[in-house]
This record gives sequence, structure tokens and C-alpha cells, in this order.
Amino acid sequence: MRELELYFGPQHLGMVGNFSITLKVEGDRILEATANPGYLHRGFEKLMELRKWIQNFPMVCRINVVEPDSMEMVYAMAVEKLADIEVPERADYIRSIYLELARVGSHLFGLWAYANMLGFDTVAQWAMYHRDLLLDLFEELTGGRVYHIYIWPGGVRRDFPQGFKDKIVTTLHSIGGCVPDYDATFFHNRIFSQRSKGIGTVTREEAQEMGATGQVLRATGMKYDIRKVEPYAAYERVPWEVPTREDGDAYSRIWVVRDEMIESVHMIFKLLDDMPQGEVYNKVPNPFKWTIPKGEAYVRCESSRGELGLYMVSNGDDKPYRVHFRTPSYPHGLTVLEKALKNASIADVGNIMISLYVVAPEIDR
Amino acid sequence: MKNSLKKQLESAFKNTQIHVPENDRLIINVEKDRVISILKFLKEKGYEHLALVSCVDWIEEKEFEVVYILSAYLQNESEYTEREKINIIVKTRIPRDDPRFVTVIPIFQNSEPYEREIHELFGIHFEGHPRQTPLFLERDYKIPPFRKDFDTRQYVKEVFDTIPIIEDRASEK
Repeated sequence: MRELELYFGPQHLGMVGNFSITLKVEGDRILEATANPGYLHRGFEKLMELRKWIQNFPMVCRINVVEPDSMEMVYAMAVEKLADIEVPERADYIRSIYLELARVGSHLFGLWAYANMLGFDTVAQWAMYHRDLLLDLFEELTGGRVYHIYIWPGGVRRDFPQGFKDKIVTTLHSIGGCVPDYDATFFHNRIFSQRSKGIGTVTREEAQEMGATGQVLRATGMKYDIRKVEPYAAYERVPWEVPTREDGDAYSRIWVVRDEMIESVHMIFKLLDDMPQGEVYNKVPNPFKWTIPKGEAYVRCESSRGELGLYMVSNGDDKPYRVHFRTPSYPHGLTVLEKALKNASIADVGNIMISLYVVAPEIDR
Repeated sequence: MKNSLKKQLESAFKNTQIHVPENDRLIINVEKDRVISILKFLKEKGYEHLALVSCVDWIEEKEFEVVYILSAYLQNESEYTEREKINIIVKTRIPRDDPRFVTVIPIFQNSEPYEREIHELFGIHFEGHPRQTPLFLERDYKIPPFRKDFDTRQYVKEVFDTIPIIEDRASEK
């Protein structure tokens, strides 16, 4: 049969975000796939070299549109490490609660994308609605709905407002009460399992070789989670489990996402119960005159997509000398995707890409 | 764990600078011809997760620094060990006027896009890399844009100031 070159995205219903894939196909079978990032390259890492340490916060959160919060966290962690700043205990708890809320919101967004792609419009609308309830919480806490800029070096910007704890509990209960509905309509639906079982399978050896983390690795049975491996914030202080699945296909990855959301909600309840009183912010020097001693740091945290790292170099100036983000979508969207698409059918391209949980702005930066 | 690794490295690679800034970080400065062998050695020791390949432009010292960050995947499922906490930063310097280096794809498959990115943004040529084609950029730059001597503001001025503003054109009429 004749070989054809097919452009998939950036304008395509099965494509989420500004990303495209060039496919070489023979009939319905994909012979070769080439990922084409760059539609959202804004050169953030270069621009950060021109701005003061604190001025970079509005920029880091724009690297990942879906989950800006872990970006703030990793940047704050790097600055704290280089400048040797302590964080009060209460701020650690607030950070963890805030990051877990963001994780649930991000997973709901991911569920929206996946359900929408499969044609489960009802489930997609539910997920978007429930994410909106979380955005309302963020708006009350930080003043912003999508980009919050809440975490700062030395703690968080402000304490929980009065009655905020109860609001978190009420909101999470109303979302959690819908889990049986989600299960009945989506996760236990035969259409979902038939469309996703055995699709985009990545074995554990392949995943490790390609530098995969997050759901891609946990769907192959490995409990690799930075929150456990190298705990930060308050993750060490409450008991929780890392959900895994065995098969490494799209079905397993989406189930890991579902289980993670439930685990995060339980974790938030435990953190809220344990939360100590006290300060939420340690004073840092005047941000406009702030210089950070010479040095370099690599910090990492677990975003909703996998290992999020930041390599930061300071030359003793009031601006960073070099920042380089290790975003989880980078290996997933470039190395793993190209491999997983080989021999797949054209109808499964969106399925594989969204189940790998790729966010295009994170790749481009 | 970390100290025994440090000793093993020191005995296997003489004259290598190993610096331990804190508990779970290890910074190794090596000459550029030893990078491949040291990465192979570390992979055999179980540090098989290449998290990041980065590059720093030290313009005053007229050198580029290529940085490899390694860590370990889990060995057993039931408990987390010290080994997985360690991040190893392997650094090497190459001259700025002859920016060439070798690829590490034969050891770490996932270094392919990272090296491609560094080739595009810093202009370092990786020998043996199968596709050093543009990844993010759509224009051709005289100086690769992430180098320190690339002036973003001057570039914007040069490119966009040559395009007339619509209001100016309206006043001409």
C-alpha cells in the first residue's frame, strides 16, 4: 500500500493543546511518528535571566497552564535551597493542601480531555464543573482562578481565610459524592475499557529507558513518586498510598489518575486535621535588593504529571544566571509518544497522546 | 550510601573532583573525554534515570558547561532507600569557540530531545546525534538565542522597529 504523510494537529479534535504530530502512515497503520513541539515556545528560561528572583513568579506559573501550582512550588524550593531559607511548619501544611487541591483540579481537567476525546461528553462536562468548584476555592484563597502565585520563598502569601477549612471539606465532599456516578458512567463502562485496553502500551523496561515518570511509570506497577522518594512540604507527616496498576496501557494510566484523585482527597482531609497553628511566612530580604549567594541546585517535586525538576544556577547576582525546568511532559511527549505511536492506528493517536497526559506548553516553555 | 559511592568513583576515576554540597546531592566535575565512561559507570551502579541534560553559558570564562542530572529508579517496591534520594550532577566544560561534544544517546535513550534542544538554543554540535533539526524555533538566528551574548531586547528592536507602525502610515496620507 502507498505510504502517506499525515499532519495531526495543532488544529484537530483529538489534539489537546498547541502541539502537532507528523505521521507516516500506510493505510490505517502508523509507521513512524514525529512530534512537533514549539507552537508555544516563549523562551521563558531566557526571560527569567533578565528578571529579579521574585519577579519570576508570574512567569513560572505560565509554563504549565493546567497546573501552575507545582511550578511555583519547584521555583520556591530552588530559591529556598540556594538562599538557605526555612519554611514555617504551618506553611508546609498549607502548601501540601494547596498542591493536592491543584492536583485534583488538574486530574479533573485531564479527565475532561480524555472523556471528551472518547465522546463521553456528559462525563467531560461533570469533570469541568467539578474543577470549577476547586477554582472557586482558589479564587477565595489567592484572588486568582487559574494563576495563583500563592507560594513564595519562605512560605505562602497569606493564611487561610476564616471558615476556609470547612469550605474545602464541603467542596471535596460534594465532588467525592459523585465518584459512584463517574464509575458507573465512565470507569466501568465497556466502551471505555474496549477503547483503551491494550492501547499505547509501554512496558516498565521501556518506560525506564525513556526516562518516564508519573502515571506512565506507575501504570506499569512501579511506586515511583517523588512525594515518597524525596518528601517535601508536609507529605512525610501523614500516611498515604501510591496507587499503581500493572498493564502499562491507556486503561491503566487513566485508572491511576482516578485512584490518585481519591488518594489526594483523603490526604487533604488528614492534612487539615493535623494542621498546626503559627506563622505562614518567614521574612525574606527586600525583593528588589535581594542577592542570592553563588551556587547551583537541582530540586524536584511531583506534579500531577510526573517528576518536575528545576536546575538553577546563581552567580551571586540579583537575578538567576540560568534556570532549566525538567518538565514531565518533555520525555512523555517527545520520546515515549513517538515510540508508543508506532504500529498504532490513526484513530488511537488522540487516545494515546491524552492518556500519556502530555501538556504542550510544558514541553515548549 | 553516598560516601561509598564517592569512594568507588574516586578509586575508579583518579583526579576527578567530587563535591558534596549537602546530604543527597553529589556534584562531579569531569574532563570532557571522561563523561561517557563516568555515565556508563553510574548507570551500571543503578543510576539509570537521566532526569535532565542542561547547558550553562559561562561567557566570562569562555566556556560552555554541559550538565547531566541522574537519579535512580526504585529497586524494591516495599520501601524507599537512600539510593533513590541521591541526585548526581555530572558537569563538564567545553570551549566556547569550538562547541562540539559527543552524544550520550547510546547510554541514555531519552537524552535525544535534550541534546537537540541544546544544539538549537546554544549551538553545541553533538557528534553522533541522528537528528539535530530545529525543535522549537522557526527562525534562523545568527547567535543561538540562549547564549549570554544574545541580547533579547536589541533583537526585538532590530526586528520589529523596521516594521512601520499603522498610526504613522495613517498620518502620511
